[in-house]
Amino acid sequence: MIIDPRNSNPIYRQIVEQTRDAIDAGVYRVGEALPSQRALAIEIRVNPNTIQKAYDELERLGVVEARRGLGVFVRDRKSNAARGKTEKLMDAAFRDGIVEGLANDVSPTRIRELFESSMNSSLSKARKRQ
Amino acid sequence: MSRPKLAVDIRGLMKRFGRSTAVDTVGLSIRPGSTLGLLGPNGAGKSTTLRMLMGMLRPTAGSINVLGRDLATEAAQIKQRVGYVPDANYAYRWMTVERVIRFCRPMYRHWNDDRCAELLDMFQLSANKKIGSLSKGMLAKLSLLLALSHEPDLLVLDEPLSGLDPIARDDFIEGVMRGICSGTQTILFSSHQLDEVSKLADDVAIMNHGRVLIHRPLDELLSSFKRVRAVLQDGRLPAVIPKGTIWQSVNRREWALTVQDVDDTLIDQLKSENSVDSIEVAELSLDELFRDFIRGDETPDDQRHEKAQCEAAEC
Repeated sequence: MIIDPRNSNPIYRQIVEQTRDAIDAGVYRVGEALPSQRALAIEIRVNPNTIQKAYDELERLGVVEARRGLGVFVRDRKSNAARGKTEKLMDAAFRDGIVEGLANDVSPTRIRELFESSMNSSLSKARKRQ
Repeated sequence: MSRPKLAVDIRGLMKRFGRSTAVDTVGLSIRPGSTLGLLGPNGAGKSTTLRMLMGMLRPTAGSINVLGRDLATEAAQIKQRVGYVPDANYAYRWMTVERVIRFCRPMYRHWNDDRCAELLDMFQLSANKKIGSLSKGMLAKLSLLLALSHEPDLLVLDEPLSGLDPIARDDFIEGVMRGICSGTQTILFSSHQLDEVSKLADDVAIMNHGRVLIHRPLDELLSSFKRVRAVLQDGRLPAVIPKGTIWQSVNRREWALTVQDVDDTLIDQLKSENSVDSIEVAELSLDELFRDFIRGDETPDDQRHEKAQCEAAEC
């Protein structure tokens, strides 16, 4: 990890970004612990409170999970981060459809009906494929 | 003794040498277990402040409280709990490393031989080397070893990194990091190595011409001051400089200012009071913010506007 103090990106955010990159690259795998706050502080010569702030942020983002007295562990990202991203995309697509409908005087009840029917047809198609 | 609220509490500190004022009503406070970086250009009064804190120089006025004790009356007790790494070179040039350690050891009640041996090993200092033959990096490490071996509650470092090569600097910082990581040692270090300060300090204080310009938690400082860049309309100059501006300059049509507490209201106000086309807000690193504080302090308030006009007129 290389910290650039002259970058206007705050140091804790640099740690967050580089830790995420390291997880993506497979340096730390799911279920493994990140270096302890103290060990990382000494390694990169950064105040341990800053490391704590970065680890708190990683936990808030759902990338890691802190287990009291044991350390900070990498979470299964398919079950959180990746899903979060997918859900965001879905939400945006639904919104587009709803906005389009409302703009063309389609009633909310009819919009719900259409949602249910496209959901049903998608599910039956998926079943047939299996 | 119960733990004091502040490890260091300096109020109204003054030092005059003849007619010149080296330290001018300085106030500084450090929470126990935290690290304060004292910044400032050469001659800002950092070393004089630290020397008064160490009881080596008598203040002209003001009070210094260290670890809950008044320095004016309890200097001897305080000295037992404080480690100091001065910026000046080592005096005992004829002694060996081992001799210096044996010489300093009896001065402290809490000297820890294991800690001392550990540091000796970590810093790869040879016990039988003469002080006079040590490199600058080695001398700095020996000085830190002597300051840390009695496990002080407060560690004071005066420009500890200046003149050290990158490897010696890393070793030195690693020695200091152990104290920072313990969470119980309070550290005060003066420096103009801003990269190191921004990595190590919890709080920073910026001094210039003997005065403290600002004293804040580092993350708060970096999040509250922003650089605003506005493009001035043809032939126009800034009319109203926002409150909280610490530095500004006009270059062609670009008006750059560093301002405290930038939010939408401030930007709207800036737009309504000045003839500007566009406005951009950017974050600053400690390095840039430090320069702005010093440059801004060098320009007196009443001249700021005139100066901006002159610079604009030149182009």
